Amino acid sequence: MKTNILYTHKDLVEQSKSGDRNSQYRLYELYVDAMYNVSMRILNVKEDAEDIVQDSFVDAFKNLTSFRYESTFGSWLKRIVINKSINHLKLKRITLVPLDHHEYHLNEEINDQVIAYDINKIKSGIKKLPLGYRQIINLYLIEGYDHIEIAEILEITVSTSKSQYHRAKKKLIEIINTP
Amino acid sequence: MDDLEKYIKENKLLFDEHKADRSKMWDNIESRIEIPKSNRLWRSPLLKIAASILILIGGVSIYKLSNISDFNQNQQNNTVHNELHDIDTYYKGLVSLQVQLVKNNQKLQPEDKKEFLSFIDELDNEYEALKLEMTKNLNNEYILEAIINNYKKRIELIENLLKQVNNSKKLNSNEDYIL
Repeated sequence: MKTNILYTHKDLVEQSKSGDRNSQYRLYELYVDAMYNVSMRILNVKEDAEDIVQDSFVDAFKNLTSFRYESTFGSWLKRIVINKSINHLKLKRITLVPLDHHEYHLNEEINDQVIAYDINKIKSGIKKLPLGYRQIINLYLIEGYDHIEIAEILEITVSTSKSQYHRAKKKLIEIINTP
Repeated sequence: MDDLEKYIKENKLLFDEHKADRSKMWDNIESRIEIPKSNRLWRSPLLKIAASILILIGGVSIYKLSNISDFNQNQQNNTVHNELHDIDTYYKGLVSLQVQLVKNNQKLQPEDKKEFLSFIDELDNEYEALKLEMTKNLNNEYILEAIINNYKKRIELIENLLKQVNNSKKLNSNEDYIL
């Protein structure tokens, strides 16, 4: 079953490898919105996200021969988009992960439980998070990476990823529970 | 996994709230994947060889044409022409040297020599006839092809003779070994 998932859109990928423009366009159509959203969540600037997604597709099509179905095409492409987006932030010299001693006045006695689940409140809560916290929440909860992968993407240690995620989640709950 | 994590993961599709500007982005992507495609073609060693062969054949054809027009009219006198003329002289010298070597070779049987030299003479006559024919009809590709075949036959003939010489050497050494 797992093997079948890895070969999702195999025909399109194979034809794209040999340079078939129609297949490349069909792959693009299938993934462009998802990839644009991934990049938007990291960069939050329309023009930047567009540039990054374009770059990612160009790179993906140029290097498609190196894609060997070790993951799905979608997750391979997503990793390209995420790496490029993170690099873009680095070029802009934006700090991704706040340092441990960075002072956010977290109420230590905050209730760890969310009072009411409202998707819009959660969305706006994530947007209100400091950038470093927002990245880690996005990567872990929405993009679905584990701490080992996040450590690799953000070039931090696994334990930093875990502790930052814990803090970020706490902050998020605090924001959501604020009336 | 706590309830908040579970809730976000289950609803992660709802976080894709942006729509990409598909046609604009595709135009940019397509314009950038055009050029690398042709570059990649040149990376294939087979195509490099094929291209080299084509250039060689093209060069030989041009050389033949200019050689024949030189024979007839002696009009062209540019650098390229001189260069081609030098190549022709070199080639002719090489062939006559080989022929001389065959003539002087002691190891070859007289009848083999005679056979080889008569073939070469025949091909020489054919070559001259073709050259004359070419002056009457410069664009005749059949004649051009025949001239190229003429050269090919000479090379083949020399190669065959070389094989014969080598075989007789092997035979001799085998005899020595038996004795």
